[in-house]
Amino acid sequence: MPWVAVLFLVGCDYKSRQSTFDPKGPIAQEQLDLFMVTVWVVCFLFVAVGSVLLYAVIRFREKKTDSPNFKPKQSHGNPVVEMGLIVVSILMLVIIAIPTLQAIWFTHDLPEDESNHLGQWYDGEISEESEEEVLTVYVYGWQWWWSFEYPQLGITTANEFAMPVGKVVNFELRSRDVIHSFWLPKLAGKVDTIPGRINSMWMQGDEVGHYYGQCAEFCGESHAYMLFRADVLSEEDFEAWVVEQKAGAASPDGGEDWSGFKESLASYRKDPAIAEEWDDVFEGAALFYSKGKCNTCHAVGGSGLAMGVLAPDLTHVADRVSLGAGWLDHRAEDEGEIDPELQLENFYRWVRESEKIKPGNLMYEGTGGMTGLKDIELTDDEVRKIAIYLQSLK
Amino acid sequence: MSQSTAESHTLVAEKSGIGLTRPDHRSGWVDWLTTVDHKKIAVMYALAGLFFFVVGGIEVLVLRIQLSAPEMNFISPQTYNQLFTMHGTTMIFLGAMPIIAGFFNFLVPLQIGARDVAFPRLNAFSLWVFMAGAIVLNISWLFQLLQVMGIFNPEGGKDIVPAIGWFGYAPLSAGEYSGIGSDFWIFGLQILGVASIAASLNFIVTILNMRAPGMTMMRLPVFTWMTLITSFLIIFAFPALTIALLELMFDRMFGTNFFRVSEGGQPILWQHLFWIFGHPEVYILILPAMGVISEILPAFSRKPLFGYPIIVFSGAVIGFLGFAVWSHHMFTTGLGDIATAAFSLLTMAIAVPTGVKIFNWVGTLWGGRIKFTVPMVYAVGFIWMFMMGGFSGIMHSAAPADSQQQDTYFVVAHFHYVIIGGIVMALFGGIYFWLPKLTGKMWEGKLGYWAVGFVVVGLNVTFFPMHFLGLFGMPRRTHTYLAETGFGPLNMLVTIGAFILAFGLLMVIIDMIKTLRSGKPAGQDPWDARTLEWITTSPPQVHNFDKTPIVKARDAFWYDKHGDAKYKMEYEPDDGHGIHMPSQSWFPLMTGIGMMIMGISLSLYSGGVPFMGYLGIGGIVVVTVGVYLWLFEGPGGYHLHPESEESK
Repeated sequence: MPWVAVLFLVGCDYKSRQSTFDPKGPIAQEQLDLFMVTVWVVCFLFVAVGSVLLYAVIRFREKKTDSPNFKPKQSHGNPVVEMGLIVVSILMLVIIAIPTLQAIWFTHDLPEDESNHLGQWYDGEISEESEEEVLTVYVYGWQWWWSFEYPQLGITTANEFAMPVGKVVNFELRSRDVIHSFWLPKLAGKVDTIPGRINSMWMQGDEVGHYYGQCAEFCGESHAYMLFRADVLSEEDFEAWVVEQKAGAASPDGGEDWSGFKESLASYRKDPAIAEEWDDVFEGAALFYSKGKCNTCHAVGGSGLAMGVLAPDLTHVADRVSLGAGWLDHRAEDEGEIDPELQLENFYRWVRESEKIKPGNLMYEGTGGMTGLKDIELTDDEVRKIAIYLQSLK
Repeated sequence: MSQSTAESHTLVAEKSGIGLTRPDHRSGWVDWLTTVDHKKIAVMYALAGLFFFVVGGIEVLVLRIQLSAPEMNFISPQTYNQLFTMHGTTMIFLGAMPIIAGFFNFLVPLQIGARDVAFPRLNAFSLWVFMAGAIVLNISWLFQLLQVMGIFNPEGGKDIVPAIGWFGYAPLSAGEYSGIGSDFWIFGLQILGVASIAASLNFIVTILNMRAPGMTMMRLPVFTWMTLITSFLIIFAFPALTIALLELMFDRMFGTNFFRVSEGGQPILWQHLFWIFGHPEVYILILPAMGVISEILPAFSRKPLFGYPIIVFSGAVIGFLGFAVWSHHMFTTGLGDIATAAFSLLTMAIAVPTGVKIFNWVGTLWGGRIKFTVPMVYAVGFIWMFMMGGFSGIMHSAAPADSQQQDTYFVVAHFHYVIIGGIVMALFGGIYFWLPKLTGKMWEGKLGYWAVGFVVVGLNVTFFPMHFLGLFGMPRRTHTYLAETGFGPLNMLVTIGAFILAFGLLMVIIDMIKTLRSGKPAGQDPWDARTLEWITTSPPQVHNFDKTPIVKARDAFWYDKHGDAKYKMEYEPDDGHGIHMPSQSWFPLMTGIGMMIMGISLSLYSGGVPFMGYLGIGGIVVVTVGVYLWLFEGPGGYHLHPESEESK
């Protein structure tokens, strides 16, 4: 097989991050199985037609010894052969059509199995009607990042989300600007997020792990930078993750109560000089909520100071392993832990030069009356302090 | 029979209906700008097509350099987006379509034994309007350059060259998300649509009405049949695009809300309209290619086409079904299970008539005496490569599997096998086949074989690995990728393949230039071929045939040469009246220039450039005046009296 030879030559790993050959859920598995049916049918046709073609061009080619004026029999066709071949091709297509139809309904219809209902496995607090539903995630596509909302659980996160292993999860897909496409290859084929309508799909992750996805519909300048991650967690880990996510961010002075910080922020706004005695986290926070104007678009849960909805929710941004919609990774190696130094550097780079990392992004450009970072002159030291504050948001 | 050498002409009316001297019997550039001769128009179409083919090729090589390794910074993301948008738009509308139009123009009148197309000035109009559209689209590069130099700064304009993909999905192509590049794209395509529809109507009328005596529909050469079917596809498919572009233009210029969600518009409507055009467009490109193959294979197998009626009929079925599968481009948009199933099955159905053609081509080879000239190598290569593209097409028809392939490099591999392995291979084979007829000069030597070798190897090295890139999860239209994805090595291979392919295509062009400069005389029938274009001189004279042939069989010329005496070619008797030739005209060119002015200035108007609205109206005035002058000038014409052998 030439395919295998090509792969061997370039040393490809068919289990790479986004490979559809390594399905980890029933939908991706169904899609791969169907794909393989098409592969075998097509390979058969290729060999069958190809060998006849090859035989014909070898057998009937003009040889040097042949008379140039030789005139072969002027046959015009053979209805029996032609009709026979049409019937055979229709039969080959039926072999593909049957599993295709089965797979269309399988991937489209949410499984009815009650064991997936939240009430059957989820121990946290949910409303009564949610008990009869499967876990639902609202996905919002933005130029060029993702927002994930869990309406039954009251959580919002961005660019990285979690789902419990072995449970059907329902996704409702919306767009906030242009068309994007939500694609997590190891779990399911893509479905578009289209402004003005709601699409839905279901997925189930059968193996705990960190999965990589990407926007698959051209959505403008930084389309290639619109990645996302999914964590498939054990039930306990998922519930612990939910508890973490529901908690608001701690105040920059470490306490639950933000009132102390708010007072300091009010005085800082009158006279920034008082920051000289503060530590970097505290001063970074003051910059975040004042000069940097970060809170106009971003939300930091629990603060009461940042409730923006135009940009990724930052409540637990430092818990995520990546930044900038999956482009900057905080881990030194795949499957590793967050490297704090790398993470700080990423936060710094992102605030300092996001226009180079993700050209056209609104944090830099500004939008609809919101000032972008290109019009706010932050010194390198100020950016460093903001980065330190961001790293404290766990 | 040999044709006349000396020609004499009598003018019917030297002055046109509006009192101006007609530009007949001129030489040099005036002749080319005012010509109505289908052969000269064909040459201009083909040269423009080849030029843009090279432009589109250079664009894609830049893309391939950018993608050759992960996280490259060879070009900026937006430049990448502009280049892939222009690569797709250029290759389809400005590369493939005009080369195909060149084939239509050159071959159809010759194959049906006619002197020209039905409406020669309309034909010139199509050409110049095509040129206008091509210029409107590509002049955006000039304005982009001016912007980079700081001379030009339109409103909302970072992307002056379109950066919305060749499919221009709303709302990305709407005002909030894209600059005036979208306007250049809208006006360019709209103008190109006018050219295509006018040309198609012309060919339909020509084929239906201007066939030589005895040339019944079932004796038509297959290429002409495919031209007829393609022309119908164009006049049914392009209006959908026209409407879509008009609505998008209204959204952008006048604030209507066809696609703007904030006002209740529906972006998904764009996709339906675009693909109702876009899918038949694929067949608009491939059916003529299939026609070319169906001419080359019989000639070099020395056998008639196997199953002619089925080949013709399956071409029509493909054209018909082509309008019933558009939503397979939209399997991931949430069509719902019923529609997905229906479009899946219809898409599979289209594989049947396509397969029939492949079987019949193999049947044509079977039992023949196959001579591997360069065009024949292309034709057999076409069958292989097109088969590969067809097979991945069948894979796409399985909608659930397609949801993993959609918008990945798997799709890129699929349609490039169809477009390069199919359309380009066929067109280049066709060029090698008919270049001796067009120019009267014969290509020679081994260069043509080396070139096709490089093309086939380059094609496979480029596009075969792309199937795997797609299945490994690499989306299309992304300007870069992380090293951790593992896409790097295959992308390097693809880039190497792209340069091999480009080298092969360059060799083809060199071979053509070499033939034009130093080719030996080809003679009128170098291939012992079968159809009417080979009975006349190479190159054909302006009036094509001294006497109109009377057709007695399909493959009339073959039976004239090798068949029974009853098939001996006869000609319509000379009525002493001479051959009526149409007069040349300036006004098709003038209307084209008017459209160009209109397109460019309205695009700039959208970017807030002063006075452009007035200039746009000026362009419309030029078009209107041009059309009226064309009407009132009257058809004119003159008579030719070729001295044929018999009368000498």
